[in-house]
Amino acid sequence: MKRKIKIPLGTIKIIKKNKSRAPLLKKITRGNLEEQFRHQTDELKIRDGQIKQAANREKLGADREKVAEEQIYIQTKAMESASDGIFIIGAKKFNFPIIYANASFQVLTGYTKNEILGQDYFLLYGVDADLRIVGEIKETIRQGKPFHGEMLNFRKNGQKFWSSLRITPVRDSNGAVTHFVGIQTDTSLMKQRNLEIEEQREELLHVTRVGKLAEFVSSLAHEISQPLTAILSYAQAGQRLLKDREPQLHEILQYIINDDQRASEVIRRLRYLLKKSKPTFEPLDINVLIKDTTTLIMPHITAKNISMKFNLDHKLPRIQGDRIQLQQVLLNLISNSLEAMEDSKDPRELLIVSSLKNPDTILVQVKDSGCGIPEENMKKLFGHFFTNKPDGLGMGLSISRSIVEAHGGQLEARNNPDRGATFYFTIPLNMKTVHE
Amino acid sequence: MSLNIYIVDDDESVCRALKTLLMTYDFQVKTFNSSQSFFDTVGIDEPGCLLLDIHMPGLDGWEVQKRILDSGSDRPVIFISAEKQDNAADRALKVGALGFLQKPVNGQTLVDLINGVKN
Repeated sequence: MKRKIKIPLGTIKIIKKNKSRAPLLKKITRGNLEEQFRHQTDELKIRDGQIKQAANREKLGADREKVAEEQIYIQTKAMESASDGIFIIGAKKFNFPIIYANASFQVLTGYTKNEILGQDYFLLYGVDADLRIVGEIKETIRQGKPFHGEMLNFRKNGQKFWSSLRITPVRDSNGAVTHFVGIQTDTSLMKQRNLEIEEQREELLHVTRVGKLAEFVSSLAHEISQPLTAILSYAQAGQRLLKDREPQLHEILQYIINDDQRASEVIRRLRYLLKKSKPTFEPLDINVLIKDTTTLIMPHITAKNISMKFNLDHKLPRIQGDRIQLQQVLLNLISNSLEAMEDSKDPRELLIVSSLKNPDTILVQVKDSGCGIPEENMKKLFGHFFTNKPDGLGMGLSISRSIVEAHGGQLEARNNPDRGATFYFTIPLNMKTVHE
Repeated sequence: MSLNIYIVDDDESVCRALKTLLMTYDFQVKTFNSSQSFFDTVGIDEPGCLLLDIHMPGLDGWEVQKRILDSGSDRPVIFISAEKQDNAADRALKVGALGFLQKPVNGQTLVDLINGVKN
């Protein structure tokens, strides 16, 4: 500030040198001085402002630094708190040293922070880890590509767990890979749940297959019993007509009768083996049954790019029914719908509707946007051995119908006005009228 | 005079074979491939024993028997079926039939049952 005040004093000096014009100058100078001081003051104000600004800038810088610090703090804290295991591996060395691992990673692997830091990441997988997959991961990330996969890992105590793993390269400003950042999640529970769903599906499919087989054998037995009845009667009639004549012919007829009875016995035993188990009726929420069944078949639905919709009346009263059998019916109707939409180029949509048809009857509809049912097939649809699938037995709908009928209801089909077909069945709420 | 036998079975071959067999026992036998043709042809007061298949298109065996009972007729009925139903024999007796035989039917067993009517 002092340095700046010197400037006007210098000016006075110059003025003093021009002595001849001194009075005028003096006057002017006085005025100038005032002017100068005013000017200086303004300038000082500006400079002061500039200094203050500079100081502000400095303060701003400090603030920014503080914000950045806070951000780093929050990011670190967030990574530490994440429920997925997060880790960072140095990429400069031949091995894969871990330079950071969050708390969840420690819980996941069972190792302490001290044991983890500096350790080769892949050694934490445990000695039993699949070396082929480990090799694949190393190969992928060394090429600077991200890896995503699922594998079986082992905790420090040897306990195995399924983990979903993503490792992504981190690059510097020149594009060189400096680190790898990884997220590892324990998917054992999810895996277990999927396994349970898979088992349930298998069980249901098995029951369905056994049901189909039983129905198939039953139909076959019926078809074969008819000619066996005729053969037996003819042979016995022949024997009676011969009476005591032609003993050799009489004996031959006896052999025919014996073999006829042997064949009948085989069928009787087969039938006994595949005797249908009696339905066990219990109170059921049809909506829960619909949801459970679609969960079982969901992978097929999503794989076929079909949008699944529900229109369920959640106020429906419970029905009396056999859970497995009714699931079989639903599964069969849904599978048929999925197959009907196989070749459809239009948007594929499956809609399941539950409603109260009247105060005593529940109505379930399975509506698809598939190819529909040709009119000539409508009548044959529920018969035995009717199928339009190359590998079908033609038992599904006939079994479904007999199940629904055993519940006192009816199973029918109709084509939709626009496209596709609807299969619908009723279940009466009062089952007493059905059981004799 | 020999007893009339009516056979109602949708399987033509079964009808013909049973008829052939029963004729060797000197019965008068008429066969029908559907319940409807039986009702159309045989009046309720025409005497005779009915051999009735259970699983048929249209009216099944149980319904035929019910209709006969409802009409006030006391026609003897024997159910014959290829399908073994656990309670079919009991049910047959309960609805007033002479009995239930599973296919293939042994000729002598059938005739013994029919002769039970005669006596």
